[in-house]
Amino acid sequence: MSAMGIFINLRHANLLAGKTVRLAAMLGVTLLAGCKAITPDGGVNEVAELTSVAVRQDLVIRDEDSADIIEARLKTLLLRPLSADAAVQVALLRNAGLQAAFNELGIAQTAMVSASLPPSPTISVARLSSVVELQVERQIVANVIALATLPARAEIAADRFKQAKLKTAEKVFSLAADVRRAYYQAVASQQTVAFLEEAQSAAQSASELMRRLGTTGAVNKLDQARDQVFYAEITGQLAAARLTASSDREKLTRLLGLWGSEVKYRLVSALPQLPPSAKAAPYIERDAILHRVDLQSLRIDLDVLAKTYELTNATRFVSIFDLSGMRNTTREANGFRYRTTAVQIDVQIPIFDLGETKVREAALTYREALNRLQEKAVNVRSEAREAYRAYQASYDLAKHYQREIVPLRKVISDEMLLRYNAMQIDVFQLLTEARQRIAANVSAIEAQRNFWLSSVNLFSAVVGGSSGSAIAKTSAAPAGND
Amino acid sequence: MLNRRNFIGTAAVLAGATLISGRSQAASIPEAQTMASPNMQPPLFPKEGREYQPVVTLNGWTLPWRMNGGWKEFHLVAEPVIREFAKGMKAHLWGYNGQSPGPTIECVEGDKVRIFVTNRLPEHTTIHWHGILLPNGMDGVGGLNQPQIPSGKTFVYEFVMKKSGTFMYHPHADEMVQMAMGMMGFFVVHPKEPNLYRVDRDFVFLLNSYDIDPGAYVPKVMTMLDFNLWTFNSRVFPGIDPIVVRRGDRVRIRVGNLSMTNHPIHMHGYDFAVTCTDGGWVPESARWPETTIDVPVGAMRAFEFVATEPGDWAIHCHKAHHTMNAMGHEVKTFIGVNQRDLVKRITKQIPDYMAMGSAGMAEMGEMEMPMPDNTLPMMTGTGPFGSLEMGGMFTVVKVRDGLARNDYGDPGWYQHPAGTVSYEYKGEVKTAPPQSPEKKSDTPAIELNVKKPKGHTGNH
Repeated sequence: MSAMGIFINLRHANLLAGKTVRLAAMLGVTLLAGCKAITPDGGVNEVAELTSVAVRQDLVIRDEDSADIIEARLKTLLLRPLSADAAVQVALLRNAGLQAAFNELGIAQTAMVSASLPPSPTISVARLSSVVELQVERQIVANVIALATLPARAEIAADRFKQAKLKTAEKVFSLAADVRRAYYQAVASQQTVAFLEEAQSAAQSASELMRRLGTTGAVNKLDQARDQVFYAEITGQLAAARLTASSDREKLTRLLGLWGSEVKYRLVSALPQLPPSAKAAPYIERDAILHRVDLQSLRIDLDVLAKTYELTNATRFVSIFDLSGMRNTTREANGFRYRTTAVQIDVQIPIFDLGETKVREAALTYREALNRLQEKAVNVRSEAREAYRAYQASYDLAKHYQREIVPLRKVISDEMLLRYNAMQIDVFQLLTEARQRIAANVSAIEAQRNFWLSSVNLFSAVVGGSSGSAIAKTSAAPAGND
Repeated sequence: MLNRRNFIGTAAVLAGATLISGRSQAASIPEAQTMASPNMQPPLFPKEGREYQPVVTLNGWTLPWRMNGGWKEFHLVAEPVIREFAKGMKAHLWGYNGQSPGPTIECVEGDKVRIFVTNRLPEHTTIHWHGILLPNGMDGVGGLNQPQIPSGKTFVYEFVMKKSGTFMYHPHADEMVQMAMGMMGFFVVHPKEPNLYRVDRDFVFLLNSYDIDPGAYVPKVMTMLDFNLWTFNSRVFPGIDPIVVRRGDRVRIRVGNLSMTNHPIHMHGYDFAVTCTDGGWVPESARWPETTIDVPVGAMRAFEFVATEPGDWAIHCHKAHHTMNAMGHEVKTFIGVNQRDLVKRITKQIPDYMAMGSAGMAEMGEMEMPMPDNTLPMMTGTGPFGSLEMGGMFTVVKVRDGLARNDYGDPGWYQHPAGTVSYEYKGEVKTAPPQSPEKKSDTPAIELNVKKPKGHTGNH
């Protein structure tokens, strides 16, 4: 068995940088050892290869042998407050749904093996230079894709197995993205609760003072009632925010696959800081076309169909974006055409001489698949653009809160205190201002959360997997003016 | 502190006239004089024309004039000015010749007066000569008696002083705004006979009011009544000059009110009589004694006394909130409210918070706390015995032995003869026990039983 590294750099599409070769070679050695250890009978060897790579990369099929290692790893991870990366790692180790997907992949391989000889396993390491900082996924997915993009074999079974691996990869992407979304949501909700607790404390002080002014006879029942109802309302808001925080955390807990005493895991107290600038991604569409697993899966459908209908004489290869032109180009490995200088990268598809085909059904079915693929490719490009714009916009908004609104609120608070000192306002106005400042901070947290959510969405738009739901708009000030 | 300032246009005219005719004085207009200091300037004794005892303007000055072919010529320049209200606060106002209010104009009954008015404001203006008897076309109501003076133009007012008395001047074009911005001045006409109504010291000032948000500089011109700075000649305590008087002098204080409310001006230590209004001199038989004289809006009062009693005597508007600087009207009363235990909680949200007002506001007068820019403490000032806790329309009449005849310099605090200052009683004090605080309940202290009057039962 030999290990071959395929290095895919989204920016440059260069092949085989020296460093990567060494990494791949090292991985290959490890794979050999793992292969022998876990699958001595050689029946499901490719799954074994996958698992042995994944152990290293923290993607593990859970069985009697690996359970202890997994639990030890989990225990270490849960000792400290979870970061986003750590949360993804926990889910990859523990989420039973993902384990089920691995099992499914194993079954698909069994089908493939029974239909044909096993392919000699070739391990490839792809590195996605993702526009977002998502280290763990990068490594895992690289391996899944590596398996999925093996040089095409003639066998349909092998193609189908390749699709199964792509689907598994998609599930990994989905889980990782969902975990991150739930994580950012849970941390933000927890932070919001902390701020609302402060606001409630301010309201409580005002309410208590007002009650005392009522005792001396300085304020009437109307003013007292107005202040108390505000306190009561903000107490209600706090209770609602606590409920939201608790269910957000529970969503995360489900994805992590934790139960029992593990549910007491801790989260960091604040969202990660915004990066100094939003990532530039001029080739975002190309990245998505290259890496979307669902697009690759549709591409395999074409190969399968061609084999099914015994369409053997491919006359030319065209870009899926240039079907009408039907221009001839040179075919390269895997049907992907790499244009090193151009911004664009396309999926190449074979065109058969359908006119000679006797079976009309075959021609139409192939055409249908072509159109599906083209539809998907157009959508993938659009989704990538949309996700990137959302990412940029949410970055700008979060930065706006951080740079403009929060500092201005601070100026207002400082000036209000000076007016208090000058007997222009009383403590009630100070406390009202304090609540408004807190509300601005809550909005700033939401904006920050939305940035992180859209960075996850951008990742999903480039590699595939769950796209997430629309991000909630930054809410109006919860502890507002009165 | 008089700054002579050449306006480019005026200087050019002067130079040209000199070259051509050699009669520059007659052919040109008088150079406009300007004042940079907000402090009281010495009286301006007349060098030519009829003799009189000049007035002293509190934190102000008298406009120099020149004789020109039998006419007394003055030059007023309406322009934006920066007026210091007291140390620590400057207002961006409109005024005349560098200050607000403008310089006091003094002349004598029978004088032929020519007043040049140059408009350096961004909008048109006029001047109305409040109380002065003059031809209708010189009365200064824009649109009614004359076209308004456009920006950059100079108009001339000419009239003969038919009577002596206490008058003022102010715009009658966009009047509310221009007066809210500080445009006004005093106008004194001395009797032709120098010994008639003669006094040794004659003080003048105008009452005005402004609404300037703490931290701001420009008055809010649309404010109707809720002003926050109450001023003597656009100054507030402790920025108002003392009224310095030599013991035994006969003293006249003339007050004009161009604010939007009346001001009961109260002087401690003396009783006095009102001797003049903007309507003219009050016959001796019609005067009555007062200690407070209410100055109505748009009116003037002059009162006189003989300074027999030495000391530092307060003079102020008796509306207590007019002897305060800017304050917040929405501040609640915290008297009797214990805040100590809440301070810790409040400082969690407001780290520099300090509880105030539990025992009243006097602590404000003593504390020095960081304040908004360009803002004076609500109550401030320090006297020989401690914090004065005043602001706004408040100053001191200082009666002293042995001052020089025209010495208006501040003699410092009064040195009280031994045994003439209130002192603490050290013996046992027997008083009734203090009233226990009223127990508040939800029901009113007095039950009201209202019966609807019925027609046939008649009146109650």
